[in-house]
Amino acid sequence: MIRVLTVVSLLCGLLIVIADVNTRGRIRHNQEIIMRESVAQLLPGIQKQVIYGIEPSGSVTILSGVQGEGPRLFAGYDAGGRFLGVVIETSDRGYADVISAMYAYDPDKQVVTGFKVVDMRETPGLGSRIGTDPGFAENFKDLDAKEEHPITTVKHGTKKNAWEIDAISGATISSRAVGRMLQKSVQSTAPVVARNLDRIKRGE
Amino acid sequence: MSETNKAIDNPFLNGLWKQNPVFVQVLGMCPTLAITNSVRNAVAMGLATTFVLTGSNGMISLIRKLVPKQVRIATYIAVIATFVTIVDYLVKAISIDVYKALGPYIPLIVANCIILERAEAYAGKRPVVKSLLDGLGMGLGFAFALSCLGTIREVLGAGTFLGFHLFGPNFEPWVLFLLPPGGFISLAVWLLTFTLWRERQAKQKQLAAESEIAQAVGAGS
Repeated sequence: MIRVLTVVSLLCGLLIVIADVNTRGRIRHNQEIIMRESVAQLLPGIQKQVIYGIEPSGSVTILSGVQGEGPRLFAGYDAGGRFLGVVIETSDRGYADVISAMYAYDPDKQVVTGFKVVDMRETPGLGSRIGTDPGFAENFKDLDAKEEHPITTVKHGTKKNAWEIDAISGATISSRAVGRMLQKSVQSTAPVVARNLDRIKRGE
Repeated sequence: MSETNKAIDNPFLNGLWKQNPVFVQVLGMCPTLAITNSVRNAVAMGLATTFVLTGSNGMISLIRKLVPKQVRIATYIAVIATFVTIVDYLVKAISIDVYKALGPYIPLIVANCIILERAEAYAGKRPVVKSLLDGLGMGLGFAFALSCLGTIREVLGAGTFLGFHLFGPNFEPWVLFLLPPGGFISLAVWLLTFTLWRERQAKQKQLAAESEIAQAVGAGS
């Protein structure tokens, strides 16, 4: 019995690996398109994007494309070359699987100005509303991300402060994951943006 | 009578029509109601399910003599999950728009009872070619049923078919049909249509048989 189960699992694993190897290139290409579209949606009026890779030392370097692993940020500029803000990727475990998202951050005011789910497996109709619910999206129009108040998710209808996220009722775990991933990412990335802000604003 | 037997013997037609998973067996209602708000989504979901069903049926039939009875369900689920993962990659690679629309529903194909039902009731006991045909037939039958629902819901709910506008600018879309209640209503309409039609056919067949007997009796006396 053990031998049969081992063989079946090996065979299944092999099939998945073959499929993965053959689709990886296309999937990455498609994801790059999605990412650029998401950045454009998060920073209205954007005309030019510059992608920065974040080095472990805390400095940033310009990347030629979305390719490559590791933390990145997208800086957006309007037609006149004026700096609009940065878009940062983040992810955390949701209810079903990892939720990947992007958010727009204004380093001058230290607020989050937009949030968009890129990939998720949350329960359709419940958890999936973190990506579709217009009321939930309202939370991220002007979400305080200053260091002194951590971003927290609060029970539906009890949001009082600018740094709180009003959870979706029926999707508390997914809503909390969003708050957690934003706080974690702001904590680690906002100082990097602040340190390199002059360079990022000039787009170099 | 011989005609009926032929249809049952042909696993492809059996799934497509005689034992249609949605209209006859009423299985797999979750995707049937959830993803049929447009024809394109319905077709994509139907084809994804067809791929999984054909693949898992084929592989399960291949290994049916090796798998011990006690662990067969676990093995079936592993095989089905494998094909669902593969189809997930494929959809992601082929079309981002379809993936965005179906995204969270694709992993749920693994829980679609049609697939496990075919593995347990058919592929686990029959040779490979028949099982492949059964998977293909059931899958396409499912896709056909989903498209039927998708057509009603998209035409009435959005006034379009596959994205093409049908009625001009004065048409007020019946948005209810895009929402969950519309799914139930369209399913009810199709089930009613198919059941009535099947009953009528059965009645006609019975009448024909009765008149044959009457003739035979008449001739005998």
